[in-house]
Amino acid sequence: MDNSLQRVKLSVHPSRALVDEEFVILVQNVPPGSPMTLHALHCSEDGHRWEACGHYIADSSGSINAADDCSVGGSYLGVEPMGLLWSLKPVPGSKPGLRMRKKDVQTPMVVAISVFNGHHSEAFVDQVSLASWVVERWYMAPGVRRIPVTEQQLTGTLFLPPGPGPFPGLLDLWGGGGQLVEYRSALLASHGIASLALDYLTNEFTTQTGKMVDNQYFETAYRVLQQHPQVLGSRIAMLGLSLGSVFTLKMAVYSPVVKLRCAVCISGSHIQPVSGGPQEMMDLFTRNIEKINFSEQNEVIWRSLLLPVPSDPSMKADVGRLRCPLLLVVGEDDQNWCTQESAADMEQMMARAGNDHLLTILSYPETGHLIEPPYTPHTPSSMYRGAGVDQKMMVLWGGKTPEHSAAQEDSWRKILTFLKKNLYGGSDPQAIHRSHL
Amino acid sequence: MFRSHVSVTTIRQVVEINTKHRLFSPGKLTPGKRIVGSMRWESSTRPAPLLTATPVRTLVDEQTCIKASFLPSNHPVTVCARMRSDEGDLWQSFAHYNTNSSGMFNLNSDHSVGGSYSGCEPMGLFWSMQPAPGEREGLRLRKKCVESPYTVQISLLEGHVSPNQDPGKEVAAVTAERWYMSPGVKRQEIRQNGLVGTLFIPPGPGPFPAMLDMWGMGGGLPEYRSSLFASRGYASFCLAYVGHKDLPGPSNTVNVGDSYFKAAFQFLQEHSQISADRIGIVGLSYGCYLTLHTGTLPGVKPACLIGINGPVGSSRELLHVNVTTKKSDQDQVFWSFDDQGYIIFKQTSLPSNLHPESIVKLEEITCPLMYIVGEDDLSASSIENADLIEKTLRAAGKSHLFTRLSYPGAGHLIEPPYSPMSRASFWVIKPEKLMTLWGGHPAPHAAAQEDAWRKMLAFMELSLRR
Repeated sequence: MDNSLQRVKLSVHPSRALVDEEFVILVQNVPPGSPMTLHALHCSEDGHRWEACGHYIADSSGSINAADDCSVGGSYLGVEPMGLLWSLKPVPGSKPGLRMRKKDVQTPMVVAISVFNGHHSEAFVDQVSLASWVVERWYMAPGVRRIPVTEQQLTGTLFLPPGPGPFPGLLDLWGGGGQLVEYRSALLASHGIASLALDYLTNEFTTQTGKMVDNQYFETAYRVLQQHPQVLGSRIAMLGLSLGSVFTLKMAVYSPVVKLRCAVCISGSHIQPVSGGPQEMMDLFTRNIEKINFSEQNEVIWRSLLLPVPSDPSMKADVGRLRCPLLLVVGEDDQNWCTQESAADMEQMMARAGNDHLLTILSYPETGHLIEPPYTPHTPSSMYRGAGVDQKMMVLWGGKTPEHSAAQEDSWRKILTFLKKNLYGGSDPQAIHRSHL
Repeated sequence: MFRSHVSVTTIRQVVEINTKHRLFSPGKLTPGKRIVGSMRWESSTRPAPLLTATPVRTLVDEQTCIKASFLPSNHPVTVCARMRSDEGDLWQSFAHYNTNSSGMFNLNSDHSVGGSYSGCEPMGLFWSMQPAPGEREGLRLRKKCVESPYTVQISLLEGHVSPNQDPGKEVAAVTAERWYMSPGVKRQEIRQNGLVGTLFIPPGPGPFPAMLDMWGMGGGLPEYRSSLFASRGYASFCLAYVGHKDLPGPSNTVNVGDSYFKAAFQFLQEHSQISADRIGIVGLSYGCYLTLHTGTLPGVKPACLIGINGPVGSSRELLHVNVTTKKSDQDQVFWSFDDQGYIIFKQTSLPSNLHPESIVKLEEITCPLMYIVGEDDLSASSIENADLIEKTLRAAGKSHLFTRLSYPGAGHLIEPPYSPMSRASFWVIKPEKLMTLWGGHPAPHAAAQEDAWRKMLAFMELSLRR
């Protein structure tokens, strides 16, 4: 091996960071103008290997800075400081339809970053890297407390930010896959919002009795959050993805108990049987099952299930009655839900009702359904099993990796800004009605 | 990096609902206070005070920036840091600041006006920590388990208070983690060929430059400097030579000789992930003598040597093979005591008190040598030894190899930066424990540690990588 290349220096700062933080990758002491490959390798919790690579050309001082320099090949192109993370894909030979999701949020995601001589896109295992660095990506900041919640038949986990509190609160709902997914709540708590991740489909009550919970389940969760000594009862928000957004809107509009400061709906819809709960929503899907389509690769496309947008007011949440700010995040290539059509309809309803000043729509081209915290791999399709369903099927979520990853980064930042603006500051939305002029 | 205060700066037009100086109070917060009157106010409360440390997970030798915002302007506040050592002792520090007109303060630019340190000290909260009142006496902070971090709770209190007397309410807090190992560093316990030590290897294929790392007569196996070297890309082997259960013979004598230290150096040379011609040696206190001695053994060709506050030979009456920590009549000749009865070892290592046959033949050194002096070292005659090294090397025409760093106000224990120092602590000495005076004062010693560490790493970079 060329002796001069042995002293290649690779550094990644910070080497321990939150999942949504940027890092800087710096390679030094490389012959000027030489082609180098940056490579990332991650072994997920379920034992699968994911990798990504970027092709760079060293500058005249013999260094490469991934934040300034362009990748000219590999799994991502252009100036992408975090490209090695968001373009991670399962290594060749892996099972099809994998999706990376961290179950244990108390341990970090460990990624090994290496630099290789020349431009390579495969067979990294057979080569010896010039230098290597390991980074840890954490979902929990130091001091965040993880508290399982099982009272009143709830199945959830509360994450409290570090410090004396009290903190604004948030109810965090995921979609039709069910399970108790904690990582978004852990991240939100790392940003100062006490977050309760709630399982409403595969919770203990449902798995034991076989019956779905009703709308009161969400109200109970809201109350538990509201009454927690370290949560500010009057500053609670709700965030839902996919099916979770259905119940977020239901609570925001109709619940006499739930009083939200603001709501965020990602890749969701307001189309739902207004007077029903989770069971009625599932029945609606079942009734429309013939509306599913298939892609050329036989992946299931569910986006037409709820279309066309109904005009019957009992079949969609009346967002014209909303009294709190609402943020909608829309992926224009969402193949799983009719997010775009729903957002357009919601905008019209709110314009007619005169409360559209409360609405913000973030719409991202070439972006799919699973809009998640940034710098984690994009899943265009995966093997998916709906809650309560026996069969797994290959579902198409949509989106193209570079655009989807940019959307994840941008939307997360804007979601955090929106939440903090409404939870940490802002005037009481109820005050509108108390004019003393 | 997503800062929680960035977005909320747009909502600065606020009306303070309660009394002027009351900060965000816990308990029921009623939003949108109803103001009865002829004018309609847009009312809201100021966002809660926010304390951040960036980055929040760092290596021990990295700086972290502590800032606070959303406080009343020109207001007195106290920042307090607390952590527990591996043994469970509570260490703490605090400092008094005044917020600026925007209600913020930043440890990187603002001055402490009281507390454990004063002036502008970005890392002051960390290096000025002392055992909390009521904790055990004579403590010295040393990390035993390098694989776990120190968890430091940093809190913000209202007013200029002393956390122990009248703490008041904690208004904001942040938890920071300080790590001795970066991700991917491998730790291997070495017990082969009679060697007793721990090897730290950086992540990656290698081969890496390496350091042989030795400490003083306190014995045991402190790993924290080696783990930091490995976190900076240098394989590092910390070697035990006295006071360790896996070493032969009684634990209060040095029972290993030249062959042991030579074997340690060769172990590094023969390691598949280490470059045989890029190995340096570093030692503190008696380890400094061993560094110089090993570095001049026949067949040992180090690429650099670093000595910190240590002698160039062993004390007069004993050869290095049998130096004992046991108190004996001969030893005591050179010991002195201060008013509190703390022992001062300084005279023991005066060049004139060293056994002439043990003095290292410095003129035979062929590699760069860095010697670090704490001018207030009360445990070793560092200045005199440094003078001797300088004189010897100049006479041999090798002064271009010599670098001397000298720090006024710094004591004996010049360690990795941003760690608390102890001017005196209990040191294991049989048959009874004595409080040993190391010397040094907190602020100059902290500055010395920070500067010395940076220069040591730069010296290693130059000697081991180019």
